[in-house]
Amino acid sequence: MKPAVFDYSAPESIAEALDLLAEHGSGAKVLAGGQSLVPMLNFRLARPAHLIDVNGVDSLSYISANGSLRIGAMTRLTAIGESGDVAGAHPVIPAAVAQIGHRAIRNRGTIGGSVAHNDPAAELPAVLMALDAEVTARSVDGERVIGMQDLIEDRLFETTLGDTELLTEIRIPAAAAGSTFGFQEFARRHGDFALAGVAAVITTDGSTITQAALGAFGGTHATRLPTAEAALVGAETGDAAFAAAGAGAAADFPATSDVHGTAEYRSHLINVLTVRALNDAAGQAGGGNG
Amino acid sequence: MTTTQENRWIGVSAPRREDAPLIRGRGRYIADIEPAGTVHMAILRSPYAHARINGIDTAAAEALDGVHCVLTADDLEGIGDFPTIWRLPGQKECTTPAFAPGKARYVGEPVAAVVADSRYLAEDALDLLDVDYEILDHVVDVEAALADGAPVINEDMGDNTIIEYTFPGINALGVAGDIDGAFEEADEIVSGRFKVGRYSGVALETRGHVAEWDDLRQTLTLHSGSQVASLLRTELAAALGIPETSVRILTPNIGGAFGNQWDRYPEDILVSLASMKLGRPVKWIEDRREALQATVHGREQLQEWQLAASSDGTVLGLKGRVLSDQGAHLHSVGIGPAWVTGAAAVNQYKIANYHCDVVGVATNKTPNSTFRGFGGPEAMFGIERMMDKTARRLGIDPAELRRRNMIQADEFPYFSPGGAVYDSGNYPAALEKALEAVEYDKVREEQQSLRDQGVYRGIGISSYIHVSGFGPSAILGILDYYTGGYEGSTVKIDPHGRATLYTGMIPMGQGTETTLAQVAADHLEIDIANVRVVWGDTDQTPYTGFGSAGSRSNVAAVAVIKAIEEIKAKAVRIGAGLLEADPDDVAYADGRISVKGAEEMRSLSLADVAQQAYWAHKLPEGDQPTLEATYVYDPANFTTACGTHVAVVDVDIDTGKIDWVKYVVVDDAGTIINPLLVEGQIHGALSNGLGGAMLEEFVYDEESGQLLSSTLMDYLVPSFTDLPDFEIHHLVTPSPHTEGGFKGMGEAGCFPAAGALANAVTDALSHLGVEADQTPVTPSRLWSLIDQAGG
Repeated sequence: MKPAVFDYSAPESIAEALDLLAEHGSGAKVLAGGQSLVPMLNFRLARPAHLIDVNGVDSLSYISANGSLRIGAMTRLTAIGESGDVAGAHPVIPAAVAQIGHRAIRNRGTIGGSVAHNDPAAELPAVLMALDAEVTARSVDGERVIGMQDLIEDRLFETTLGDTELLTEIRIPAAAAGSTFGFQEFARRHGDFALAGVAAVITTDGSTITQAALGAFGGTHATRLPTAEAALVGAETGDAAFAAAGAGAAADFPATSDVHGTAEYRSHLINVLTVRALNDAAGQAGGGNG
Repeated sequence: MTTTQENRWIGVSAPRREDAPLIRGRGRYIADIEPAGTVHMAILRSPYAHARINGIDTAAAEALDGVHCVLTADDLEGIGDFPTIWRLPGQKECTTPAFAPGKARYVGEPVAAVVADSRYLAEDALDLLDVDYEILDHVVDVEAALADGAPVINEDMGDNTIIEYTFPGINALGVAGDIDGAFEEADEIVSGRFKVGRYSGVALETRGHVAEWDDLRQTLTLHSGSQVASLLRTELAAALGIPETSVRILTPNIGGAFGNQWDRYPEDILVSLASMKLGRPVKWIEDRREALQATVHGREQLQEWQLAASSDGTVLGLKGRVLSDQGAHLHSVGIGPAWVTGAAAVNQYKIANYHCDVVGVATNKTPNSTFRGFGGPEAMFGIERMMDKTARRLGIDPAELRRRNMIQADEFPYFSPGGAVYDSGNYPAALEKALEAVEYDKVREEQQSLRDQGVYRGIGISSYIHVSGFGPSAILGILDYYTGGYEGSTVKIDPHGRATLYTGMIPMGQGTETTLAQVAADHLEIDIANVRVVWGDTDQTPYTGFGSAGSRSNVAAVAVIKAIEEIKAKAVRIGAGLLEADPDDVAYADGRISVKGAEEMRSLSLADVAQQAYWAHKLPEGDQPTLEATYVYDPANFTTACGTHVAVVDVDIDTGKIDWVKYVVVDDAGTIINPLLVEGQIHGALSNGLGGAMLEEFVYDEESGQLLSSTLMDYLVPSFTDLPDFEIHHLVTPSPHTEGGFKGMGEAGCFPAAGALANAVTDALSHLGVEADQTPVTPSRLWSLIDQAGG
């Protein structure tokens, strides 16, 4: 469990990092918090010729809440979880961050690293999908903004980012007034990757649901749950709608089997967790965060 | 001068003397040892479950800059295998070779090794080894391995059945009774089929060695984390074909061993052989992936039991068949753990009629061998589940059913049909104490009202025996176990009256240094600060017959007591001369040698006498100078620790999640040397037992034969948040068969754990008829049972 040989660069500015990416392209790998990449290097599952360590690029670490929420790619998960700005704008984010690994992992792990690594069991890609977030990707050729859905598609452990692009920022549009959320995941031990999990954000007009966005993780890839969302929008909050959404979630969820549980169990779990998350969200309505 | 009360140390919660250096970073582990000129070994392991090795091209690896040598099976000429030292009658011959013998039989079996300047380079070189594998059909399931046409893993065995052993056996001491009569007479016959999951110690510190061959002196020094240095020295010298006098094993601190480190392993030979070839120190540290693949696994059994009962709840007979999944080949202890399962399965109950067939089966998996509990936890799981099934069938409360069948306190020594002689205990008292502590009747009442609210609470009782202090050498001989059961101790009093104790026991976290110092200080009646314990060097410490399983303190402690008795007798003889008194009128007390009745006037300190012993100017006739003694103690009998655990859990029927409500332990390990350390050992062993009950499992893929739980993200070890608060109570029934009354307790906590958890879960779901008969009880498995039951 020792990595193969690689070259190492530690740029201190975005421009420097982009130059290195332009030079090394597909042979390079960007090192953010290292919570996934370093084990992959040690197992020799990843064998980049060149490692570009962006931990010294201070300008990639920030949280800015001004209308939309902007978070620099290298912002540590602990900083995000403890940010009043983030909690004020999207309380589902700190709820999800609290479930990521353990404190030591959150101290080191970054939001950009989590999104770019795109582990299908990771919380943040699914949460950001539910929040209609976008990411900024930069290269020496310029900058583009990519929606989370287009970034992830149905991929796992990779995204649509180009070889020479650096993910620099996550932008999350302001929440709808009166929206509430629920976040549920099931792991065998606290801090482990979840067998299944769901973030639900709903807005109601009195008792009728006007907007619903659900993002799920723990399947073969992070995904929205369109059937569940469709079952909710226009329905009255309550057991009937939530049960329909749970069944819809199970239908949409790309469940898979592994040592921790069968696909059948995971499909059942996403149903149960969706109902629980929606009840949590409904419980906040009225006292909510709008 | 000290008082008697001040210097009685047995029963005192003395703080661990090991802690200060370990906590403050002054522990020294194998990875910390790196003599000048050390080179590093990495091992190529089979990626296939079953594959013939037609050739290995080593040229590219050997050509890599910084590579010192590549070892393959071709380099093993003149090198022997490690033997299986427990060879039951009818057991097919099987050994542990340094490299896969012509074919690899499990994923992780060593195929080649590279030694290079660094571990990084050595792993680079592994990538360059080109092995010509011919992939063969594999089998990773015991029943499939026994089926006609199954791939034969060890051709010289003819098939995959390694041994079939029947209890009561020709070697066992037990009496068969009339098993057929018992089943004919029975009102009810209850059946159970249990899958005990495969898991293991998974120590925080992985295995490792540094071998130093001195070609001028022709000596091998092996720094090793083995927990049984004496046996390793004997077997390693034999395998390498060098005199045992040339081999010295040094053991630094060990970060967990859990029985796994009792065995001898291929790497013990490989690292030594590499050092002998290169004439320089060679280091190998097992990485985590290797630790999960190549350190022995434990437990896995498929058990089928039938229990004959009369309608009043009397258990008339028990018969069973235990298929032990041994993995690809027998390791150091053969099918020993499964044999213990057969020997212990009648547990605390008066079951006069008993029959059990134990079958050792080869599969394409990592060898299943020594692991904390050694067959006992597997036995307890089966019988305790059977007792609960029987109680449910007969409509008798599970506590009451146990009560009606337990061996009573006045029935010891008890000759079990499994072959063991139980020395002592008070099983009903432990049960009652546990029921009282958990408030059994109250919890049963609450269970009803909670169920109406949709809360599914269950109570699981699990009683156990733990046959420890393994064992009288003569009995090991009867069992064809080719080692002795003794422990030796040397105690030396220095000229200032302080004691140094030399033990062959290897401390591996259980506080051996502290407890042995307590025993010595107590019997010498001196301050514990004046006792030093020396361990971890085969050049200095006594040979240990069996080695240091977690439950061996009882045997080693008696060796200390016996050596000190000799020292005290000599001190009295020397002291009598100095005091000009008849030795019969002189006694050793309070750490002093005094004339009886004149302790204030005519008395010498131990230091006074020790100084005279070293000057040796006027010793009694026949006494040698200095003040030291060695005693090798071979126990008269096994000791039997026992107790009852009660688990209370809530089951979420929507997710299969199990939440802890309460966990009560009542244990009886005889005289307790150190209550603080006993509590720590119970916590550790229970965590180990509950880990296997809920989380830990080596899962193999039937299709590919791959080990799927090959990282600590897939193999889940419990942490504090996964475990209940343990409420611990003790009973003390001193063993009548050992000096001091001690019994082993380092393993006991893991014995009843899985039974308690599974019985509690089954009880919680009794309305659905769900039976938790497979460990670990994972949420996915449990939900699937709930779903099938229509819950």
